[in-house]
Amino acid sequence: MFGSNLDVALTAARTEGTRVLWRAFHESITLIVISSEEGASDFTLSRLLDNVFSVMVLVLGLEELANIRNVERLKKDLRACYKLIDSFLMPGERTGDLTHCVECVLVPCSTILQVPHRLLTFQLLPGLDICLLCGPSPSLEAVETELVPQFWKPLLEPLRACARPPSVPLHPGVLAYLLINHEQKRSLSAVLPRGVQAEGPALPLGSCASVLRAFYALVVSHYFPCDGSPVPPLELPLGGGSHSAQHCYVVSAGYKAYAAQAPPHQLFLLLAPEVPTFALRPLATHILQYLVGDAAF
Amino acid sequence: MEKPPGRAESDGSSCSSSFSDDLEPEWLDSVQKNGELFYLELSEDEEEALIQDRSEAHAVNHVRFRENEAEIIQEGSRKERKYEPRLKKFTKILKKKSLLPKPSGKKGNTGCNGHSSGPTSILKHQSTQKMGVTVQQKYKDVCVYVNPKRLSYTSGGREHLRLLETLVGIVHQSSWSTRRAEKQGQDKSIKGISEEKLVVHGLVPGSSAMKTGQILIGDALIAVNDVDVNSENIERVLSCIPDPMQVKLTFETSVFEPEGTSQQKYKQAQSSMNNLVKLLWGEDNTDLQLAIQGVPHIVMYLTLKLDSETSKDEQEILYQYPISEASQKLKSVRGIFLTLCDILENVTGAHIISSSLFLSGKVVQVVYWKESDKLLVVGLPAESVPLSQLRNMIVDVVRTLKFMYHSLDSAFCQVENVSRLDHFFNLFFQRAIQPVRLNSNTSPSAHHYDTYSALLLDSLPGVCWLTLPQEVKMEIDTALSDLEAADFAELSEDYFDMRRLYMILGSCLFYKGYLIANHLPKEDLIDIALYGRHYCLLPLAAEQRIGQLVIWREVFPHHHMQQCEASSATGYREPEARYFLLIVGLRHFMLCVLLEAGGCTSKAIGNPGPDCIYVDQVKATILQLEGIDSNIEERLDSPSVPLLSCADWFLPASRDRLDSFSNPPILSKLQNTSKTATSPTSMRTLFGDYSLRTRKLSPSRIGGASDSGCEEPEESGGLNPHATQDQVTKKKHTLPNPFNLGNLKKNLSEKNTELYNAVKLTSGPENTLFHYLSLETMQGIFITPTHKEVAHLSGSLHPQLIKNFHRCCLSIRSIFQQTIMKEKKKREGIGSSSLPSKANSDLDLVREHGILFECSPDNWTDQKKPPPTMTYWVVGRLFLHPKPQEFYVCFHDSVTEVAVELAFKLSFGLAI
Repeated sequence: MFGSNLDVALTAARTEGTRVLWRAFHESITLIVISSEEGASDFTLSRLLDNVFSVMVLVLGLEELANIRNVERLKKDLRACYKLIDSFLMPGERTGDLTHCVECVLVPCSTILQVPHRLLTFQLLPGLDICLLCGPSPSLEAVETELVPQFWKPLLEPLRACARPPSVPLHPGVLAYLLINHEQKRSLSAVLPRGVQAEGPALPLGSCASVLRAFYALVVSHYFPCDGSPVPPLELPLGGGSHSAQHCYVVSAGYKAYAAQAPPHQLFLLLAPEVPTFALRPLATHILQYLVGDAAF
Repeated sequence: MEKPPGRAESDGSSCSSSFSDDLEPEWLDSVQKNGELFYLELSEDEEEALIQDRSEAHAVNHVRFRENEAEIIQEGSRKERKYEPRLKKFTKILKKKSLLPKPSGKKGNTGCNGHSSGPTSILKHQSTQKMGVTVQQKYKDVCVYVNPKRLSYTSGGREHLRLLETLVGIVHQSSWSTRRAEKQGQDKSIKGISEEKLVVHGLVPGSSAMKTGQILIGDALIAVNDVDVNSENIERVLSCIPDPMQVKLTFETSVFEPEGTSQQKYKQAQSSMNNLVKLLWGEDNTDLQLAIQGVPHIVMYLTLKLDSETSKDEQEILYQYPISEASQKLKSVRGIFLTLCDILENVTGAHIISSSLFLSGKVVQVVYWKESDKLLVVGLPAESVPLSQLRNMIVDVVRTLKFMYHSLDSAFCQVENVSRLDHFFNLFFQRAIQPVRLNSNTSPSAHHYDTYSALLLDSLPGVCWLTLPQEVKMEIDTALSDLEAADFAELSEDYFDMRRLYMILGSCLFYKGYLIANHLPKEDLIDIALYGRHYCLLPLAAEQRIGQLVIWREVFPHHHMQQCEASSATGYREPEARYFLLIVGLRHFMLCVLLEAGGCTSKAIGNPGPDCIYVDQVKATILQLEGIDSNIEERLDSPSVPLLSCADWFLPASRDRLDSFSNPPILSKLQNTSKTATSPTSMRTLFGDYSLRTRKLSPSRIGGASDSGCEEPEESGGLNPHATQDQVTKKKHTLPNPFNLGNLKKNLSEKNTELYNAVKLTSGPENTLFHYLSLETMQGIFITPTHKEVAHLSGSLHPQLIKNFHRCCLSIRSIFQQTIMKEKKKREGIGSSSLPSKANSDLDLVREHGILFECSPDNWTDQKKPPPTMTYWVVGRLFLHPKPQEFYVCFHDSVTEVAVELAFKLSFGLAI
């Protein structure tokens, strides 16, 4: 990058409505992201760069990227990453890219996976895949035709029930939620379909997820500093000293959002504008209690 | 102890000539060639009523400050000023008609002889000497390094006393002291006009004389290398120095030994005002400079249009400040700024706003302002100023510079402005990097107002407003209106059938930095406030320091200029006029007046200087209002109108202490109120389905049951955080129902309601309000508890809380600013067609933002028990209609507040 010979590293720039972020990885690869999305922040873009580089490492290996021997060849090899990178550019309803936590569904019991060399994914149901990390054997075919049906077929029905997001009875005002367990690096999130009783201006379903993501980025970069956040300190974290932020909310014309933290959990809620502001806190406390306690997340 | 050169005026105390009869105003000498004036004189002795007690001699530090001291020194030798201020013509007329003996004696202006004082000195030493001071003459030798080789570019001895100035760096103005001597007949140092003693009137910044630190203003140079010198032979003597060498200068120095302890007092006062005042005087303040030297910061004005043929090094830099090592690095990467500006505009089609760099271990934020083919760049480390704030700051800088110089080009591209801008940006960076050091560090409330408070309050588009009792306000308004009518009786131009020189557009009055009356349109007020902010005038007036402040300059108010350009639509045309700003400060008062010339008044020609009549009338207005300062002080001393609580009172552990304490006045008041005002609680379950089993608890946490209140939170402060939250939620039954407020008010007697509204902002039986800030952009003002009010509520937790509140406000405000920006865009219709997400763009506008904080005392020693905790909200609320209004409040979380309600209570309660 220019400036590096003067010992100056350019990290970000902004124009009206557009942000640019630079990041050099292992002094061999520089990634640049330009975004004019509304909800984009330095936090989200920084995470995006992390993810994109991780994708490259996943596909090509760090060794290949840190010591580039043949640039033309590398370019060719990188094509294999494109699809994966695209999925980060179009995150949809998922939040794992942002929170760097494993996204979970609420299941009564969980299984522990063994250590791995291959990543295999199988779609069980639309929207529900299993990811297997396994060693050199057994073969893909064997897993697909024998092991997967053997283990998962009996569970297909309960899984079908889990796959539908509104598996949790929540207040009708809740549009979307995201619950993170920082100890276990797990997260639970869903965008809930709105009931018919909704009135007035409402966010389209698709933008609920992006609004929640933007809210998450705002809160995490400003108020709930979490360990290992990759973001360079572009904005000052708040509440220094013995003052620590516990809850946080935002009210806008089209939605309300509330964040609560009770270590190790963080809950982010997106609510309909009709929900009274003074009720946000008890509601969030209640939902957090329900999800953590009763639903045993 | 050796004094820095600029301090010399403290020794050179002299009697204040400002109010003696039949003297030209002492600021007259300081008027610059272009008519501008920045004259600041400090009153040293805060106890003595300088103004009323004119007959006595007082120690006054006379300081003349020029915005462009460096320039003066060059200019001073070129030409005498040609213009003769019209006021002088005017006073001549008056004199002829022998109309001048004035009732108060303050308006007496002897027509001076139209002498244009060659503005040579930086800080002039008053040659008159103070009564009651013993003067001793002493001699001292100072060695100075001189280098005649460096003079090659100057015109040498073309001008009188040129070498003394250019070679040694001593400024001596012969005509000036001669004139003084003639007038006052006191200057004993005058031997004769031809053989005048070489009194040091000023030192050239950066010169060898300045660097020694031993030459004081007021000293008289009597010998060079043991050769006696006077004004007659000095040039000859100095011209004999062939090569760079050390020369011994012998000075006769006057040592004043003031009677009493005023010296000591001065020292004390000095330590508190040192930094700010030193900066304002434009002194070489190495202490302050050193402190920020290592901090990378820069301002540059770059041109994007490069002349490729005459490619010179650094030709794209039109202006740059400062020149230090840390900023050198930022300067060297200006190519990045230019390239980014160009690339991003090509890629995104919009101007670059900011960028972040990583430079020697620090994140440095750089903000840009692009106008035509020029680029203004300001860089500061992120740890000093958050990015959102820096963006506000560059906007303010641009606005102020345009207010002062009409356009950025005229500000930056004229050589004579360079030193003025250096001074401007010196103040700017000092304010940005170490605001606390600039403000007085002696005041007890200082620790409440740290960097973030300064950053926040400095960036608000408004002035801090002090609410006053109605009758006081009336009195002030009447006085200002009288002034604005400009009916100066026999002093007015009408009396002589002359066309008026100026029309007074409006005025605004500050007291101790608080705005107490404003008769200006909002835009003009903001312009003036920004000017005052950049020159640190408001904090200056907050302490009793101003002996006399007179500022005069031509200004270009944003509002009037804009209308000039685009007026055809409305049919109304702003007159093609010129505008002048006159600021007069006396003690704690500062009155700013905006004058118009050329509309219905006569056209201003050339660069008119301040007009004595107008200055005196403004001064008289302040003097007329002197009496009310006791009322204002009373207001400042009384507790805040919406009562505030101290955060420490809400800690469970401190309650015991509090009880044993004799009741603090505010708390006892608070308890009284909670008795008189019936509890506005309404039992209301939250969300029937989801609320927990609501359980009735004692609604009072402080007022009623301070003893029982101790136990509960300690129980709940256990290890399980959910339990705490649970408990807190259960307490929510004291929730006020906004819809039942009507009933509540009916129940209360009218008097009680009034009392209730007057003193308490929060709902619930207790006063849970910690701090507030209300910004009314309609009036261009904001309201916040005064420093004194905050200082009343001392404690260990409270200062931290206020600090955190201000930090949060900064962050909340940056979100609100995005909303305001989007709203503006929407109204302008930009991008309405291109954006597919147009539908939700207005759903996205954030109106309210709140954060709940938990805190515990720092010094918790008891290891068995967890520290007690206290939780509080910081909530910001934005109203877009009819005019943007912002409201920030900080309150204890025992009562759920409806921010809208609080905001309305506050803004309606405070009858502005």
